[in-house]
Amino acid sequence: MYEFLKYQVRDAMTAEPIVISAKAKLREAEELFETHDFNGVPVVDDQWRLLGILTKFDVLKAFSLDTQALVPRYEDIMEQPVETVMTRDPVSVRPDLPLSRLLQKLVDTRTKSLPVVENGRLAGIIAREDVLKALRRAAIKHEVPAHESPRP
Amino acid sequence: MTTLLYTHSACLEHDAGYGHPECAARLAAILKALKTPPFSALQWRDAPLASIDQLTRIHAPAHVERILSRIPKQGHYAIDGDTVVSPQSGEAALRAAGAVCAAVDAVIEGAAHNAFCAIRPPGHHAEPNQSMGFCLFGNAAIGAAHARAVHGLERVAVVDFDVHHGNGTQAAFERDPAYLYISTHQAYIYPGTGRRSERGVGNIVNIPLPANSGAAELQEVWRQEIEPALAAFKPELLLVSAGFDAHYLDPLAELNFTEDDYAWMTQQLLAIAREHCQGRVVSMLEGGYNLQALAASTAAHVSALMEDGASG
Repeated sequence: MYEFLKYQVRDAMTAEPIVISAKAKLREAEELFETHDFNGVPVVDDQWRLLGILTKFDVLKAFSLDTQALVPRYEDIMEQPVETVMTRDPVSVRPDLPLSRLLQKLVDTRTKSLPVVENGRLAGIIAREDVLKALRRAAIKHEVPAHESPRP
Repeated sequence: MTTLLYTHSACLEHDAGYGHPECAARLAAILKALKTPPFSALQWRDAPLASIDQLTRIHAPAHVERILSRIPKQGHYAIDGDTVVSPQSGEAALRAAGAVCAAVDAVIEGAAHNAFCAIRPPGHHAEPNQSMGFCLFGNAAIGAAHARAVHGLERVAVVDFDVHHGNGTQAAFERDPAYLYISTHQAYIYPGTGRRSERGVGNIVNIPLPANSGAAELQEVWRQEIEPALAAFKPELLLVSAGFDAHYLDPLAELNFTEDDYAWMTQQLLAIAREHCQGRVVSMLEGGYNLQALAASTAAHVSALMEDGASG
């Protein structure tokens, strides 16, 4: 675990991740979810400024019962732009955040992934799987046993 | 008047094992920063070895003997999962406690305005009968007891802004009203002590802060609790357990202090010390595990000490 303490978010994140624009349709986002095994996709403008994040949960929410229709209509909802259902002003992290702190944040907020922002631009995304991988990498990388003598 | 810097090469040779966060590179990063031109007025001093008598004002003699006897001739010995010693650890620990005692002498005798001890292993988790949490002997408590025994001081305060609670310093002081211990730390992390309800004989002030607290929360508790407690106690000497692991880049905790916050806290402590004890402050390194943040925060802290020394 000592090695893990040296990692920062930038060491484990996916840099330049797949993103989606606010005007894209939910149908396109759904295709992304279908093709890639991720849970959320960052929503950016053409300068890669982070506008929001669209998660599977946000898409599910678009289908929850409301006052607009007795039965939600799949085709209509899927034609809506991403910006209508995305989570705005999402929590983001800095690339120099210690990975141990990121882990704690994921646990405390039960979040699956968080966007990484540097100088106002999206720099990457970091997910539970990335942290698990980093933990494994840190454990394999060394661990000379400290206990060369028996404990008292 | 001057600011003294106590350190020793033995403190660079204590090795807690490969990759351990409490590593020699921490002290090396600090010393490198303190060798740059802004710190040229610092007066460097070699830390002497603490005497057994100095240690046993706080620690049980049998405990001191047991710890020193476990220092291995080679390799490492684990006192617990966190606390590992190597061949040079005994000397390093004695130099660390010795640095604080020597700094206390110099500041009380007027040879210097204030002092910073760049030392390791740290001390604030070391209890009278238990070494733990990277700490072998209680440097702050030993320095405070030295000031009482040798210089006859009646009131010594320790302010501990390390992100972890100083259970060792608290355990050493909690029955003796000649000492005041004030600690800010992150709640619900190691070592689990430091609740508000732990008040000793009215001389322990624990201020646990929730994760993600930063400057605003710090300044609030400073004005509401720390200043009034110190003003009421009127210390004759102020010791500082200066851990820099409440920094926002530190990997072992989740408070969000910055270099500026450390400078601000140091200035507040100095103002209190000027009012009650002619500015007598002896500060010592405890934790801080991001090398860059540690060096920059220590530099901010020592820089504030030097400004006070220059004007005093």
